[in-house]
Amino acid sequence: MMAQASPWYRRLGGGALPAILLLILMLGIYAAYEPSALTSFGISNLLNNAIVLALAATGLTIVVLTGEFDLSGAGVVAICNVMAATLSMGAPGSMGTLGLVLLAGLLVGAINAYLIAMLGLQSLAVTIGSLIVCQGIALIILPAPGGEVADAIISGVTGDLLGIPIAGIMFVALALAWTFLKNTRWGLAVYAVGADPVASRLSGLNVPTTKFIAFVLAGLCYGGAGFVYSAEIGSGDPRISDSFLLYMFAAVAIGGTSLVGGRGGVLGSLIGVGILTVMQKMLFAIGVAEFYTNIFNGLIMIAAIFFGQLSSLVARIALRRPA
Amino acid sequence: MIQNKQTTAVDDIAGFEKSVARQWLRSDARPAALVLLATVALIVSMKLVNSEFGSLNQLNAILITSIFLVVASFGQGLVILTGGIDLSIGVVMGIGGMIIAGMTRGSDDMLIYALPTALACCTAIGVINGIGVAVAKLPPFIMTLSSGTTFFGVGLALTAGSSQQAVAPALQQFMSGSWLGLPLPVWFLILFAVLATLVQNGTAGGRKLYAMGSSPGAARVLGLPTTMLTIAVYGASGLCAGIAGILLAGYSSSATLDMGNALLMPTIAAVVIGGARVTGGAGIYLGTLAGAFFLSTLSTVITIMSLSQGLRSVIQGGIIIGALLLQSSRSAQRR
Repeated sequence: MMAQASPWYRRLGGGALPAILLLILMLGIYAAYEPSALTSFGISNLLNNAIVLALAATGLTIVVLTGEFDLSGAGVVAICNVMAATLSMGAPGSMGTLGLVLLAGLLVGAINAYLIAMLGLQSLAVTIGSLIVCQGIALIILPAPGGEVADAIISGVTGDLLGIPIAGIMFVALALAWTFLKNTRWGLAVYAVGADPVASRLSGLNVPTTKFIAFVLAGLCYGGAGFVYSAEIGSGDPRISDSFLLYMFAAVAIGGTSLVGGRGGVLGSLIGVGILTVMQKMLFAIGVAEFYTNIFNGLIMIAAIFFGQLSSLVARIALRRPA
Repeated sequence: MIQNKQTTAVDDIAGFEKSVARQWLRSDARPAALVLLATVALIVSMKLVNSEFGSLNQLNAILITSIFLVVASFGQGLVILTGGIDLSIGVVMGIGGMIIAGMTRGSDDMLIYALPTALACCTAIGVINGIGVAVAKLPPFIMTLSSGTTFFGVGLALTAGSSQQAVAPALQQFMSGSWLGLPLPVWFLILFAVLATLVQNGTAGGRKLYAMGSSPGAARVLGLPTTMLTIAVYGASGLCAGIAGILLAGYSSSATLDMGNALLMPTIAAVVIGGARVTGGAGIYLGTLAGAFFLSTLSTVITIMSLSQGLRSVIQGGIIIGALLLQSSRSAQRR
């Protein structure tokens, strides 16, 4: 069934087509209200706003595809942010900070991975635990907002390369990396494990290792997100906004990734990130007060998942007919 | 026969702890006893380090500040019992408090109307969560996280995020008054704990929740009204969060919309360390109660020793993971 030729939009990851249409619609409305939206400055601004969430949502997508949950992302971003704000001006320098931040993400991912993949604990509860621990560690490292991120990091992340915004390059890199990973042995195993763990185990796939790698990669992505986030805001804040977690899940859900695993992909999530980012810009440009965006966020999230489930139901019925 | 074993068992608990413990305590009550013991140990060790700690007033203060967690984590516990999770509790607490503060505006006249209004609104949010989970089949944590964000936005749109006036004086007096030498909140706490235990572990409805949590499919086959039960459970969670929010508003004499956020994660921690299984179907309210007391004591200790508030989170999160590890090793032994 996997080898079956499918139309190009199907290959983007299940229910991504409505998401693309929604993104185009929102971009259109945004551009109508804000003429500078489609200038090179406007686009690079948009990309810079979206890239943190894109990195985090990529990590989360990989975990969700295996049929698990991961709430620790917001905590890892908080730790990495305060690390960058306290370390980057000192001895480690900007490249050293990047290394340490990624290492921190990797470490949290590996701990989650061990507890969930190897010991078989329930992922939601474990990652709630590690989320709280991470938030605590971030508060211990930097009790109050402050610190400073080295200019080299800020200009390196928010700048251009040959006229192309770095954030845009990262977007493309994420998409390419996933397209490559998806077709590796491990990538195929991720989909199989998410779709049916028992069948995967019986057909000889190593389920724990597949999940382990997924959580570690996710941790790495969160670390990257934390680093880029630090560059965007230029300082440290131990209390990253609560809604970041919701955005991560919303991006994954809007992008058509099934929350029970096995269906979807990173490309869809990147589109989901685009929708969420443009939606906020659009609401702001129209003049909707900021607190209403909370309401929109919650509602779009529920709607996205609801329609995601509906589309899987439709797909199941459509599959049944020819057989 | 169990009686006989009980008397002999007490003598050599130390020697045969594993085999004997099962007989002198129901297995699901063991975590509760353990956590309660840890709480006492924490208080005693603090008393040794700091002789000023542990006065009667301070113990009362710990009990009073634990009341919010005790009430809110009952709802969380019921939801977790059915295999779900409620991440909207923090916001609902804020909304409950804000409605009370906004309607009473520093006088007792409106309290009689404000109380039912606040509780009805909070229950309604819970019911909406329940409908999302039971009817629309959304994953519980997504549904509750989303509704939490949505209603936080609604609250922010209707108010400025904090109450402009104090809450009704009667409510403040309730939180600071005492009767027969015990503070009124402590009486309330006792009453609530008894009622909650009865509801969860003494009624047919409570038993149905256990059945549903351990095997939703079997519960449906047996003809349990799983949809209605799920909606009722989330409604009860909203109601409890509302009560906790009202008490919190009375305690701090004003309300802010985000005042409950800090209590969301502790409600989960209290339920999990009390021995409840996160996948549902196991756990008693006594465990949750012990967990709430422990976390509240811990919080006081950290404040008194002026340790970083971050440390509290680290310990809380660590406890959750530790409790999960303990549970998994227990179930591995049983196999």
